[in-house]
Amino acid sequence: MIESIEASPLYPIANPKSIALFGASNNATSMGTGLLGSLLDLGFEGAIYPIHPKEDQVQNLKAYRSVLDLPNVPDLALIVLPTRIVSETMDACGRKGIKHAIVISGGFKEVGGEGVNLEKDLAAVANKHGMRFLGPNCIGVANPRHKLNTTFMVFEGAPGFIGMASQSGSFVTQMFDYLSRYALGFSTAFSVGNEANIDIVDCMEYLGACPDTRVIALYVEGISRGRAFVETARSIVPKKPIVAFYIGGSETGSRAALSHTGALSGPDRLYEGIFRQSGIIRARSMMEMFDICWMLGSFPRAAGRRVVIQTHSGGPGVEAADACGRAGLELPSLSPETIKRLSPFIPQTGSINNPVDFTFIKNIKDYYSEIPKALLEEKNADILLFYFSMSSQTLERILRQMGFPPDQIAEQAAKVVDAQCESIIRVLETHDKPFVGYTFQSLKDQLVRRLIERGVPVFPGPERAARAIEAAFRYTRLRDKILAAASQEKAVDR
Amino acid sequence: MRADDLIRSALDRGQPALSEYESKKLLSLYDIPVTRETLSRSADEAVSAAADLGFPVVLKACSPELMHKSERGCIELNLRSERDVREAYGRIIRSVDLELEGVLVQEMVPGQRELVVGLNRDPQFGSCVMLGTGGMMTEVFKDTAFRMAPFGMIEAKDMAEELRFKAILGAFRGQKPADMDILCRTLIAVGKIGLELETVSELDINPMIITPEGRVVAVDALVVLRRNGNDRIN
Repeated sequence: MIESIEASPLYPIANPKSIALFGASNNATSMGTGLLGSLLDLGFEGAIYPIHPKEDQVQNLKAYRSVLDLPNVPDLALIVLPTRIVSETMDACGRKGIKHAIVISGGFKEVGGEGVNLEKDLAAVANKHGMRFLGPNCIGVANPRHKLNTTFMVFEGAPGFIGMASQSGSFVTQMFDYLSRYALGFSTAFSVGNEANIDIVDCMEYLGACPDTRVIALYVEGISRGRAFVETARSIVPKKPIVAFYIGGSETGSRAALSHTGALSGPDRLYEGIFRQSGIIRARSMMEMFDICWMLGSFPRAAGRRVVIQTHSGGPGVEAADACGRAGLELPSLSPETIKRLSPFIPQTGSINNPVDFTFIKNIKDYYSEIPKALLEEKNADILLFYFSMSSQTLERILRQMGFPPDQIAEQAAKVVDAQCESIIRVLETHDKPFVGYTFQSLKDQLVRRLIERGVPVFPGPERAARAIEAAFRYTRLRDKILAAASQEKAVDR
Repeated sequence: MRADDLIRSALDRGQPALSEYESKKLLSLYDIPVTRETLSRSADEAVSAAADLGFPVVLKACSPELMHKSERGCIELNLRSERDVREAYGRIIRSVDLELEGVLVQEMVPGQRELVVGLNRDPQFGSCVMLGTGGMMTEVFKDTAFRMAPFGMIEAKDMAEELRFKAILGAFRGQKPADMDILCRTLIAVGKIGLELETVSELDINPMIITPEGRVVAVDALVVLRRNGNDRIN
């Protein structure tokens, strides 16, 4: 377990002050040129030195014929060259004194045959110079706070709190837009490629120490340093949650086992146990992994599993109750105190059970203030699941019917949304328990959008909300398990 | 006898695995509860062993070549008299064409709740322990939980907690809950075998029976050995 991220070999890779770039040219369609474009688009603030055997200028930057000609020693070499010249390039970088590299180029172990040997050569060259590198066959790093994007894709959105390490490059680059829709983003995301030198365990360790990372997301296809993986995860989980999405190999296994145990040791079941032992929450899809990150990053405190549901529509309330039940959550009855507090708000058509269904409420303000306040103070519940239904168009129609002139409707609607949003935020800021929303509206709808941007998770549909809530509860249990084991070990040592 | 010696002499004899009798000796050295049993080499020996153990007893052909006995008709259950034992002994001897180490005479452990406990070596995670429900039905239920060794009591309990059919570990139809302390210690011990004995490649305790009183007992066991140095992994 490292004390600070500066101690990680990934620190100069994710936070370089200067980069030597191999593979960018004046050919607009080359991959290296695309990478340079990505770096420039995000406004990388350090020096970029394109290395090119023929050109004096690459995309308006001064180019150098050889890395050895550079005026100083860059922090990082970024290599996007044909496979056969990667090793010699790495060697030149080593001779220049560069200590860190990202090798984007493919054609190594992943293609088998000669590629396996090429990768061994590459690793040996790096070792000789004491260099650490990410890849080969990866897309590199996105660290938007440092304005670093070494991937081919344009960075979209804003920096966030999700630290990602992925054995698929696509799940870094192609998630930028997806995450920004939920006002989420990466703190730092690593694509690890073939892990010839730095692997997913190193990334996990870096993200564990990274102050901008509140939750770690892993896309896993296979772990090579098994023991280190479990031990590193267990050292991080007491401080921050780790969520993983794993797709296993074939259940039949590659070797003939003589025992029942051997025959039953398919990778999926094994990884299930390994994740649980590591304290890692396993998600069943990429989208679910980010849902869980959203939940855990928003509410890092311990979570219970007793949910109270606030709705003003029957069906969506019933569906939420069903989703909670199937996710293994509990729906406690409300205490007499809460029922008494709520009774002035409940019309004849409503019901004070759980879900609390207000049907049509006279004073809509109460729905966003007094009612959630009472429910967050309910002693039988740990968490409030809240239904958002009214679209901006409906709000505008109400305002029209109230007699506002057409040219003032938009402004009035914005004021109402503003008041509703502030009202909810005030309630949340004065209460410790998690508040989770769900809706069938577009996430671009004004109130929902405003809340999401203020860091309140509002899930599309109750099932995703319920599963994310259950994951937060699971995290609390896993963390407590690891803490209990650690204190037991300490007691034994004494 | 030490575990190392037990395995070394089996390897010296060219055995691919320990016989059930030897496997259970190994388990006993790690404090895993096993059936009371005697290896007999004649019908007379079997009868006197049965009398010592108390009826009913179980007779099993015992040989390191016999890895999955129930499929080969060489187990005789619930033998209640001297005559039962004598006849069963004869049937077992006739049913196998192998040279036997002997015929095991074993206490008959009552109980319908069956577990499987095992050890597997994974190239990445090393010694991994498995707990499953089902005994004979294990491969049907596919209800298993794995942990990388070593681990402690808390993790062992969590392993049991992970099983879909964990309810069978609790009080069940008038039967007492399983002794979780012993079960967890068994899981930890199996991991320890994996870490300490490199020559053990796989291990099965199948079934591990939970008696109506909640005792957990290894009723059958198989320890597979590494046949040569080349298939050593981790």
